[in-house]
Amino acid sequence: MKRTILVIDDDIDLVEIIRLTLESEGYGVIDAQNGARGLDLAREKKPDLILLDVMMGEIDEGFQVAYELRKGDNTRDIPIIMLTAVADQTGYAFDPEKDSDFLPVDEYLEKPVSPRRLVDLVRKHLPPTI
Amino acid sequence: MISLLAVEFGGVALPMAAILATVGLLLALNTAYTLRNRRVPAVDIRAELLVVKLQMVLDLLLLTVLLSFSGGIENPFHTIYIIHVLLAGLLFKGSEIRRMALLAGLLFTAEVLGEALGLVPHHHLSSGPEMSHDWRFVSSGLAAFWLVLVGCAYLSASIMRHNRTIKDELVVRQGQLVAADKAKIDFFRYVSHEVKTPVVTAQSAVEAVLAVAGADMAEKPRDLLRRTVERLRQATEIVQGLSDLTRGPLHQGQDVRDVNLNRIVAALLDGQQSLIESRGLRAEARLPAEDVLLRASETMVEKVLGNLISNAVRYNRDGGRLIVELRDLGDAVRVAVTDEGIGIRPEDLGRIFDEFYRTPEAKAASSLGTGLGLPIVKRFLEQMGGEIAVESEPGRGSTFTATLRRT
Repeated sequence: MKRTILVIDDDIDLVEIIRLTLESEGYGVIDAQNGARGLDLAREKKPDLILLDVMMGEIDEGFQVAYELRKGDNTRDIPIIMLTAVADQTGYAFDPEKDSDFLPVDEYLEKPVSPRRLVDLVRKHLPPTI
Repeated sequence: MISLLAVEFGGVALPMAAILATVGLLLALNTAYTLRNRRVPAVDIRAELLVVKLQMVLDLLLLTVLLSFSGGIENPFHTIYIIHVLLAGLLFKGSEIRRMALLAGLLFTAEVLGEALGLVPHHHLSSGPEMSHDWRFVSSGLAAFWLVLVGCAYLSASIMRHNRTIKDELVVRQGQLVAADKAKIDFFRYVSHEVKTPVVTAQSAVEAVLAVAGADMAEKPRDLLRRTVERLRQATEIVQGLSDLTRGPLHQGQDVRDVNLNRIVAALLDGQQSLIESRGLRAEARLPAEDVLLRASETMVEKVLGNLISNAVRYNRDGGRLIVELRDLGDAVRVAVTDEGIGIRPEDLGRIFDEFYRTPEAKAASSLGTGLGLPIVKRFLEQMGGEIAVESEPGRGSTFTATLRRT
């Protein structure tokens, strides 16, 4: 059965790039263009992994979504990879180990998204089944 | 009463007790004033000036008393009035200086006329003829005194007014420079913010197409897409550089920690290892045996040293030496990065820290490079209270020395 990845990002082009990359690797991709819709989809479809943009409508929308996902019984254990160019906006570079206490995500992926790096990170948490 | 205290001094009878009491009071007041200045922090400049004014008025009064006990116009120390007027010229503006000069002049005139008219006792200072009742001597003495007094007041006020005008102009010019720099940084921030998203998305898109379908493409379009990725990487690097230039202050407050400079230098050289090997460079890290720690923004320190080291690799000659020397100076840390590359002409040394400037030699040596690496180095170091120095010889190489102070 195809593993499903939920991409939550308001940049439609970037969603399509990620879809192209991940579908070619045998993953199924569903997407949401905002945090609220992303939370609904996560609860409803229970994806195997979530790619989440930090900054959407609100500057910290991605963080809020991550907190909500970690609170939900159905979504708590879904691995989250956070897409970020946030260092350019805030000057703060994230580190999954140092920041795990206040940011409950598994990985950070800096934009521009390198297909190889994206696939490597997804495979790390979600080995392909085909 | 005073005459009872008179003491024979060098053949002249002076009221020494009264003189000593007045001098003692003068010293005590000035000591108290000095101690107050040391212990009470100056908060309100107007209050401070009021205290200074009060002290000067008291000084002038006591000086007049002292003169009346010690010869009046015969005493050459009456020139001390002039010093007070000069001081007033340094500290105060227009009318304040005139008022202080008028007070000094009137006090001295009153004392001299008081003695001349017999209203105030005269204590003859010398064994020669008594001059305090000689109207020609008194009038010429007072005229000379007023002439010097007014002249000094006018000159000191003019000089200080001129200085203040220059200072005001400098403050205005500095304000204009700061505003221009801020406008430039705001513009860079706007450009980097607006351009970054489309550029990185375009780069990601082309990379994704190459990753997914590149193998099935004909060689020419595939090569074109690869070159497109390289161009977009350059654009991303420029946008990243602009972004770095604008965000230094944000780093300062956020990732400040004890930065291990030995580790950072080693890691940065390690990161350049494949390039170092491909160029046949002889890299050498001269690091103290004991780790050098510095409390600073790790991101900024990494960026500064990273830019210097990558420049030394990029602009070195094949097979050249690359030396990174780290020294702990106690109150500062110094990192010198030396290469044996293209060097910098003296006329370019003043421009290499300007945004986007690349020397003709740098452009010829490498198509890579944004012209933002050294401006970032300079700006970050300045924001961390450090500085950058460069020594270079065209065709022989350069040494960039970054100094970071421990605060």
